[in-house]
Amino acid sequence: MKEKLKEVAAQAQTDIAACSSINDLLNAKARYLGKKSLVSNLYGQLRELPEADRPAFGQLLNELKADVEKMLKQRELELKQAGREQQDLSGFQDLSLPGIYPARGALHPLTLVRRQIEDVFIGLGFEIAEGPDIDDEFHNFDALNTPEDHPSRNLADTFYLENGYLLRTQTSTVQVRTMEKYAPPIYIISPGRCYRNDKPDPSHSPVFHQVEALVVDKGISMADLKDTLQNFAQIMFGQEVRSRIRPHFFPFTEPSAEIDISCVNCQGQGCRVCKNSGWLELGGAGMVDPNVFKILGIDPEIYSGYALGVGVERIAMLKYNIPDMRILFENDVRMLRQFSGVLQ
Amino acid sequence: MRISLSWLGKYIDLPADTDKLIQTLTFSGIEVEAVEKLPALPESVVTAKVISASRIPETDHLMVCQVEYGGSQATQVVCGAPNCHAGMISVLALPGTELPQLTIKSARLKGVESHGMLCSERELGVSDNHAGIIELDPDTPVGVSVNGIYELPDAVLELEITPNRSDLLGYLGIARDLSASLGLPLKMPEIKPVEGEPCADTKLELILEDSQKCPRYTARLLSGVTLKDSPQWLKTALVKSRLRPINNLVDVTNYVMLETGHPLHAFDYDKLLPLQAEDGHPAIVVRKARSGEEFLALDGKSYQLDENDLVIADGQRASALAGVIGGKDTAISDSTRKIVLEAASFEPMTIRSTSYKHKISTDSAYRFERQLSPSVTAQASDRAVELLLETAGGKVCHAIYDAYPEPERPRCLALRPRRFTELIGYPLESEQIITYLEALGCKFLQYGTWQEKPVYDPQQIHCHHLEEQKAGKTEFTEIDCDHALYFQIPHYRVDLTREADLIEELARLDGYDKIPRKKAVQRIMDRHAHRVRREIEDHFVQAGFYEMLNYSFSDPEQLTAINFPPNEAESKLLRLVNPQSSNQSAMRVSLLPQLLANLNYNLNHGERDLKVMEMGKLYWKDGNSYREPLHLTALLTGKIGPGHWQDKPADIGFFHVKGIAESLLDKLGLQIASSCEDQQPWLTAADNLAFYCADTLCACLGRLKSEIAEKAGIDIHNLKQDIWVLDVEVENLIGLTRDSQPRFVPLPRYPAVTRDISFVIDLTVPYAKIAAAIEAVDPRLISSVSVFDEYRGKQVPTGQRSLSLRLMLQDKEKTLTDERVEQVVASVLKMLESTWQIQMR
Repeated sequence: MKEKLKEVAAQAQTDIAACSSINDLLNAKARYLGKKSLVSNLYGQLRELPEADRPAFGQLLNELKADVEKMLKQRELELKQAGREQQDLSGFQDLSLPGIYPARGALHPLTLVRRQIEDVFIGLGFEIAEGPDIDDEFHNFDALNTPEDHPSRNLADTFYLENGYLLRTQTSTVQVRTMEKYAPPIYIISPGRCYRNDKPDPSHSPVFHQVEALVVDKGISMADLKDTLQNFAQIMFGQEVRSRIRPHFFPFTEPSAEIDISCVNCQGQGCRVCKNSGWLELGGAGMVDPNVFKILGIDPEIYSGYALGVGVERIAMLKYNIPDMRILFENDVRMLRQFSGVLQ
Repeated sequence: MRISLSWLGKYIDLPADTDKLIQTLTFSGIEVEAVEKLPALPESVVTAKVISASRIPETDHLMVCQVEYGGSQATQVVCGAPNCHAGMISVLALPGTELPQLTIKSARLKGVESHGMLCSERELGVSDNHAGIIELDPDTPVGVSVNGIYELPDAVLELEITPNRSDLLGYLGIARDLSASLGLPLKMPEIKPVEGEPCADTKLELILEDSQKCPRYTARLLSGVTLKDSPQWLKTALVKSRLRPINNLVDVTNYVMLETGHPLHAFDYDKLLPLQAEDGHPAIVVRKARSGEEFLALDGKSYQLDENDLVIADGQRASALAGVIGGKDTAISDSTRKIVLEAASFEPMTIRSTSYKHKISTDSAYRFERQLSPSVTAQASDRAVELLLETAGGKVCHAIYDAYPEPERPRCLALRPRRFTELIGYPLESEQIITYLEALGCKFLQYGTWQEKPVYDPQQIHCHHLEEQKAGKTEFTEIDCDHALYFQIPHYRVDLTREADLIEELARLDGYDKIPRKKAVQRIMDRHAHRVRREIEDHFVQAGFYEMLNYSFSDPEQLTAINFPPNEAESKLLRLVNPQSSNQSAMRVSLLPQLLANLNYNLNHGERDLKVMEMGKLYWKDGNSYREPLHLTALLTGKIGPGHWQDKPADIGFFHVKGIAESLLDKLGLQIASSCEDQQPWLTAADNLAFYCADTLCACLGRLKSEIAEKAGIDIHNLKQDIWVLDVEVENLIGLTRDSQPRFVPLPRYPAVTRDISFVIDLTVPYAKIAAAIEAVDPRLISSVSVFDEYRGKQVPTGQRSLSLRLMLQDKEKTLTDERVEQVVASVLKMLESTWQIQMR
């Protein structure tokens, strides 16, 4: 009987190895392990053996069955593996082809920068205040302590309208309007369009954008101004940026200062952009002049405040490396397309 | 915690207005979670004596009683209560009485007449006890109102006591706090400590093993006490706090717990075992439980203790789980003649973990889990002794047994008035500070130099000011030390340990409503406008538009070129005195000319598919003044989207532009209607549309006339593309959407059914009109109409089109049957046939 078992095992090995498809394999399985298969027959013969030999033979038979099952499984794996390699290519996709884009547009870089500045200040607890582009001499000059004979009031500097109004030369007009209407504590920024009678050139435009900040509260000092400025500079241009203020003159602030940040091009080392100074001028600032407070009915003995103003075009040009202000007003879609990926 | 106002009123004159009282409590930091009003009972609810009670035959519990209720008046009442028996004094509600839950009527039960009802406490609304009818003291007079007995009318407040305020866990604490916040005097019960008599045969051995977990243990022995029912006032008090009266001994300990906030326990002296079995006295040992020690509690359950539990043991076994629950073996019973009254203080963490571990929550554990001052312990004990002698007789043996190894030292705290101003925001006069804190039981000691840590020896309070005075200086313009007030803190205020705690008390008593609002910043910003503007800009960017920014100037000539009405131009144009050039000589009244120039520029630079927009101010004259409305204009030409290797994008058509406008207005939540009435002079007549919300213009769109494109320099013939214009009235949209919020509509509970219908109809009948007419057929059931196909062609006669519509039907109240759906669809079709002579497909 043992001989018989060995024979069956050897035969199974050859047969199973010869199977070339899953179907063949199923037939082989039926032949060796099915109801009327070779192995089943052997189990049937168990009863005819003497009682004493049965356990030993039964064990051998079980081993044979397990061996055949293992061979079948092994061959099945081999066949499946081979099948995968010869797959039908009709459903093949070239995943490197470009995806389908939803429509994509872009905000103008000046809008992007304006939004960023707004969000910096909103995060610092400021409110946004807005006012008209068309204003009068009181809000644009008188209330801001500008002398009657100050050259900025000239036609060569300021646009005037036929009805006697003018186009504001800075968004400080909104500071005046806010202080007229609201009592301190005031923490505002005023973003908006300004106008000066300058011919367009790489660094000038008759229409431009400004953001000014104004704080009026008890106990405000230049130290507060410095902190706001440094926060603003770092959030807009990066952690490594430094800021400083330099003495200057504006009619509506006393003391007045100009704002510089370390050059974003050379990190303050000195280069063409900063004219080798390591610093870039960003705007003006200062403590609100007591005369401005008096004109607007705020007691300078109780309140103090600071104002600072920056140009949106200037910041956009520095941030995005735009060499000429006129590019910003050309509205060339090829330029705008470069800003479709800007995070706000 | 439940507080009965009639009980509370014994210690302080309460305001007559309960609402005002609740307000005072709430704003002094004691939140009133619920108010249970107990109204006075009608005069027809009286005390009555049951003369006889006999079972009604063939019933298992009904008794017929003859009841006497004053003078010669008697009546017959049927009663089903298990405790009903002849001779008892109970409460009778006569026919016609309206009780909180029911109205009493004469009735016949099992053939027996009943003229009234003997009541339980629940039926009277004074407690939730409904185990039987009320049984009053046998010497209660008959025929009198029960309002006096139950102290009605009354109100019971459910108070939430914050975990730091263990002093508020009893009536006295609440009264004390109220007296401080109302500025009213307290009427504290006068407690006279009883000295005790020598008793040779009644002694106790007290051993305090763990003074960490039990800082103080006191015991008093009373002998010759008589166990009986409590007097009615005591029962009434307990019942309103939802405690069930048991007997006078137990009731007194509970009463004193509710009154003082300090739990007590009474042991049966004779059941306490001595340390030495033979000749010793009963003992009390305060010790850690032994690991695996068995303890049979008053609740009848047996607990396995461990070394983290603290027990009050007698000479042999645990007799109580300290501060949590008493033991069964040493409990008060009918045979009790001598008692040991325990008043002790325990460490909160031990109580909390024992109570949590064994899942036992008791009024006692609730209080001990919070820090209770050991100083209150003796007072609570004295109060209980007084009431026990009054209600149970007997005598006190010996002085108090008091194991108190480390007595509490009185604590002094410094308070700087300046600090109150800094922290709370307004100044409080020193006199006012002293008044408030003394009302809370603090004692003002003196002025001194501020020290952060509590001072336990008032001698150590240093005052620079006083030193100077002692040195002979008599005049001070300014106190030059950091001026502070020193207060001795009452022992029961375990929560007052720092200056900040005192400041909180002052702020709370003076009232948080007194705190001024300090404005941090003026709110100036129009947040809504800001958000809507960004929303609109983003909408266009997401639809593929590039934003243009042009100067605010315009060329009056160009207005003519776009057919801008000359009259309007004349009345609106604001001209510059000193323009830089003639084509920038006025402020812009339209964004279109500059955008056309932008379009032309970009077309000339090789861009063919363009979507551009500008949002900016227009500027125009308004009489002697001017306006600067915010406006948006968008231009579109070429393909709708970027090209792709899979499919070619379509040319921009009317419905693309309409969709951009509609989806914007939809996003802003506006209900819009469209109209073709308005003709923008630069748009072709056939393809222009305006959107309105109510009567306000929101947007208009259409196809640019080709001659206008040509005038702008665009080579429209070579371009072979339409140019589309979309104007958005930004200012109007900001106004229309202000304060609008979506309101959640409950989701439909029944399924919707859809039905598609297709029909042929005249080309000129607008879809919108058809859809509205269909919805009007049955507005309750037809929840939406949408179009999914339009067909014109060979199979449809010229001048007509086939429309395929999808109706959604839904009933808010029930599931729609097929039959009902068919009915609705049939009436829709009938309407369509009779209105527009449609043909079904």
